[in-house]
Amino acid sequence: MKLATTLPIDPEQVTAFSKAHGEPAWMTQIRQTALSRFDDLEFPQFERMNYRNWPLTNTQELTGVDSDPKLLDDIEMFHDDAAGVLIQFGKNTTKTQLDPELAQQGVVFTDIFTAEQKYPELLKQYYMQLAITADANKLTAFHAALMNNGAFVYVPKNVVIKKPLQGFYFQDSTQKQDFVHHLLLIADEGSEVTYLENYQTVGDTPNVANILAEVIAKDNSHVHFSAVDELSATSTTYLNRRGYLMNDAQIDWAIGAMNNGNIISDFDSELKGRGSHAEVNVVAIATGRQVQGIETRVTNYGKKTIGNILQHGVILERATLTFNGVGHIVKGARGSDAQQESRVLMLSNRAIGDANPILLIDENDVMAGHAASVGRVDEQQMYYLMSRGIDKATAERLVIRGFLGSVLMAIPVKAAREQLTATIERKLRDGQTTEND
Amino acid sequence: MSTLEVKNLHVAIDTQEEGHQEILKGVNLTMSTGEIHAIMGPNGTGKSTLSETIMGNPTYHVTDGDILLDGKSILNMPVDERARAGLFLAMQYPAEIAGVTNAEFLRAAINARRDDDHQISVMEFLKFLDKNMKILDMDEDMAERYLNQGFSGGEKKRNEILQLMMIQPSFAILDEIDSGLDIDAMKVVAKGVNSMRGDNFGALIITHYQRLLNYIVPDVVHVIMDGRVVKTGGADLAQKLEDEGYAGLRDELGIDVPLVDDHLSTSTTKEG
Repeated sequence: MKLATTLPIDPEQVTAFSKAHGEPAWMTQIRQTALSRFDDLEFPQFERMNYRNWPLTNTQELTGVDSDPKLLDDIEMFHDDAAGVLIQFGKNTTKTQLDPELAQQGVVFTDIFTAEQKYPELLKQYYMQLAITADANKLTAFHAALMNNGAFVYVPKNVVIKKPLQGFYFQDSTQKQDFVHHLLLIADEGSEVTYLENYQTVGDTPNVANILAEVIAKDNSHVHFSAVDELSATSTTYLNRRGYLMNDAQIDWAIGAMNNGNIISDFDSELKGRGSHAEVNVVAIATGRQVQGIETRVTNYGKKTIGNILQHGVILERATLTFNGVGHIVKGARGSDAQQESRVLMLSNRAIGDANPILLIDENDVMAGHAASVGRVDEQQMYYLMSRGIDKATAERLVIRGFLGSVLMAIPVKAAREQLTATIERKLRDGQTTEND
Repeated sequence: MSTLEVKNLHVAIDTQEEGHQEILKGVNLTMSTGEIHAIMGPNGTGKSTLSETIMGNPTYHVTDGDILLDGKSILNMPVDERARAGLFLAMQYPAEIAGVTNAEFLRAAINARRDDDHQISVMEFLKFLDKNMKILDMDEDMAERYLNQGFSGGEKKRNEILQLMMIQPSFAILDEIDSGLDIDAMKVVAKGVNSMRGDNFGALIITHYQRLLNYIVPDVVHVIMDGRVVKTGGADLAQKLEDEGYAGLRDELGIDVPLVDDHLSTSTTKEG
């Protein structure tokens, strides 16, 4: 299937969808503008990644019925320790919960349609305005025109939330429906929040997913952002998470890229403010015949900004995994630091792995470094573990768990760490089983 | 009682630098549980090759002969199967594995020997671990540190013995466990090995020096030179070697082999 370069959508369909969700006029306008710009915009380019045969823009034209919440009954969601929970399925929201004490302090954790009505000022100011703009490229315009669900998080000035806010977002692939999901998270000055999100797919109908997450970290705020991405093999996905960091703000990203289908993941941190700081930890497992392209970019604009990228990935079967690490220090970002490490481990002869460090340095007074490798499981380590009676498959999983461990440890919430560990274990077992066939 | 037999074992390796090289040229050795054997010999005569080959390191190729555990050949068994059958090798250069804790690894090793319904419980495991670590004078935090990662030479050796004590194999091969150890550390290692002594345990101690054998007294001592066992005797044979050096034994047996990098022999030669 070819990538559609024009959208078959009638502007009236978009307006009707917007009205049906009670959206304010300015939001309908954002959608219409994006739709009208789509044809002229370019697709985003990623080094050594090619998605021109993916149906990323072959839309279902805002169709689809409500999702049946009963289908989520058998899915385990660990959120016992959460300060707030939001569960969304397809274009519906099935659960919204927030610690009343936090609500009292002005913390918001709700679905995007409610937010448009209740917090129009914040949305007008930040929704696709600062971190990701609708006219950035074809895929962001697609998103702005067709967004059909999302979440909104607001943490007021100087509010510190100890327990995590957790979002569970399920793509409904029991039917033909685009999954165009948006997150807008705003951490106001001096605030601190731990946010955790999990994407999964229910059903196996081939569908498109277009997911954007905007994180606005205002002065002196600190955001701990963890994600476990587990979309299914029948999903074709564009995923873009972008942090916009103001003075002395920090975002710690910990991302488990556990998707099973073809996906382009674009993780960006815009270090705009002086002294801002991004730590980006990514672990990925690629299995089956999927292609995962992951580009992690940190751009140092402000003086004395720090960006650290650490990506570790494992490839099984016939999968492809490409890590791009981009460290870009712009002119004027004196005293900045951009470091990155990308490592890929291949467990199969038919796996394809790539790790590309890309450093773009336009300022002299900076520090920058990179390390990248693509290799196989260390024979000495395997021999050592097996000499203690541990079978080959288990030994391999131990070595891999160790290899991915640095990122796992960076996830602040125990439940999320355990969920990701379990997912890794399961994906490795599944991959190893077919490998031995 | 278990037996381990090495019969007319010929082993070769292929290296890029030197091509095909025969290292063991017909080794014969029989031991049973309840016994401690020592293998001594100058450097470069195949001591480590013997231990790695018994364990099943794929780098070493058996070109002739056999290795039998309780009468059955283990040559076609991969290393993990040999381990579960009762063999253990305390390695000279243990691998470091980041991200896997010592405790996690030890549990996996113990459970590899048990079926799914009889996995060791956390409590039972921790109790056993604690007891063994005390014997070896190890810090508690060693259990939670990553496997051999950043361990000093001495810590690595102790950790090998800890694994031995946790896994409780029928036969343990200790490959130069004394190298790089000071006398106190050596005593601790010996204490660990001696705590294993009994009817269900046998050990093959590979060493260059006699010193370790003062602390782990062997029942049988074999001397290996030029890829063969050239002499077998009791604990007194080790003492004799200490006094006379390998050169003395070589000359006595009339073996024509140069002794490379052998401090023991050079020092005695000078005295003579």
